[in-house]
Amino acid sequence: MSIAFRITLIIVSVFTLLYMCKKVKQEKLQIEYSIFWTLFAIMLVLFSIFPQIADWMSELVGVYSTTNFIFLLIIFILLVKCFQLTMDISKLDNKVKELVQKIAIDEKEKREQK
Amino acid sequence: MKVLIIIPAYNEQDNIERVVKHLTENYPEYDYVVINDGSMDKTSEICHSNHYNIIDLPVNLGLAGGFQTGMKYAYQKGYDCAVQFDADGQHRPEYIAAMIRKIEEGNDIVIASRFVEEKKPATARMIGSRLITTAIRLTSGAKIMDPTSGMRMYNKKLIEVLANNINFGPEPDTVSYLIKMGAKVAEIQAKMDERIAGQSYLNAVNAAKYMARMLISILLIQNFRNKKKVDFTK
Repeated sequence: MSIAFRITLIIVSVFTLLYMCKKVKQEKLQIEYSIFWTLFAIMLVLFSIFPQIADWMSELVGVYSTTNFIFLLIIFILLVKCFQLTMDISKLDNKVKELVQKIAIDEKEKREQK
Repeated sequence: MKVLIIIPAYNEQDNIERVVKHLTENYPEYDYVVINDGSMDKTSEICHSNHYNIIDLPVNLGLAGGFQTGMKYAYQKGYDCAVQFDADGQHRPEYIAAMIRKIEEGNDIVIASRFVEEKKPATARMIGSRLITTAIRLTSGAKIMDPTSGMRMYNKKLIEVLANNINFGPEPDTVSYLIKMGAKVAEIQAKMDERIAGQSYLNAVNAAKYMARMLISILLIQNFRNKKKVDFTK
């Protein structure tokens, strides 16, 4: 990796981390959800400052180039996260449906009692 | 002092009657509210047929959401303090009087703690508790002997804060954040009973996940939060 590229990576990943911290401070997201993103951003910062970690890990799992390994790792992590989010959305979807149905039925009963 | 006992209940049909009966018969001076967190069993029916004071949530919100419902109720009704109380019978109401005295002395949070005078046993279950105590000590300087105790009392100011904000769930990380903002926390020695009937949600895997979440939250994320959100000097 060239020096310029490493510096870019470090700047971008540090800003990502700072941005997420700021959103936590502004109470834009719940702690449970922020845990994943904070750890993810820290991982990006670590990889950009110490690329040796990624070199070592890619050698460990037998991936030819470190860049490929990082792509693979991040895509995999995001894929799992994406699936979890889909599960969360399904859960929310069900909850909203149940709430709407309950409100509608309650309203009807209230009207009929009058 | 007007005190409200908040009892979040999720599938507690085998315990709820005994717990509420004990309160109404032996401690009629305290008000209570059961928050039925979308239980699938007969929790709601039992409470309604006994004319208990109950709020039924139409969907399951989890402990934090259920407890916050109780805090909103306490806030609307103008209670001076609110205490979080388990529906499984492990908390004993005889300690509430001592907790109120601590609130009257000027504390913001009072925790019914198993380990103020007694030593923490060196069991596997208590390793997590020790780690959280250490994490809170490292980040806020305060020594909380029993951070995972679920029996906590909050004063009027905190009822308002907890009722109306996100990220103030009834967990040790909130306690650590509140200490950092200047809240005064006291602990009183208390005994707790084992749950008598029903299943605890906390099996080994869930307990490990919970501990990891709490430690990351206390050591890392709570540090990013706004430390001037609540002014405890007034």
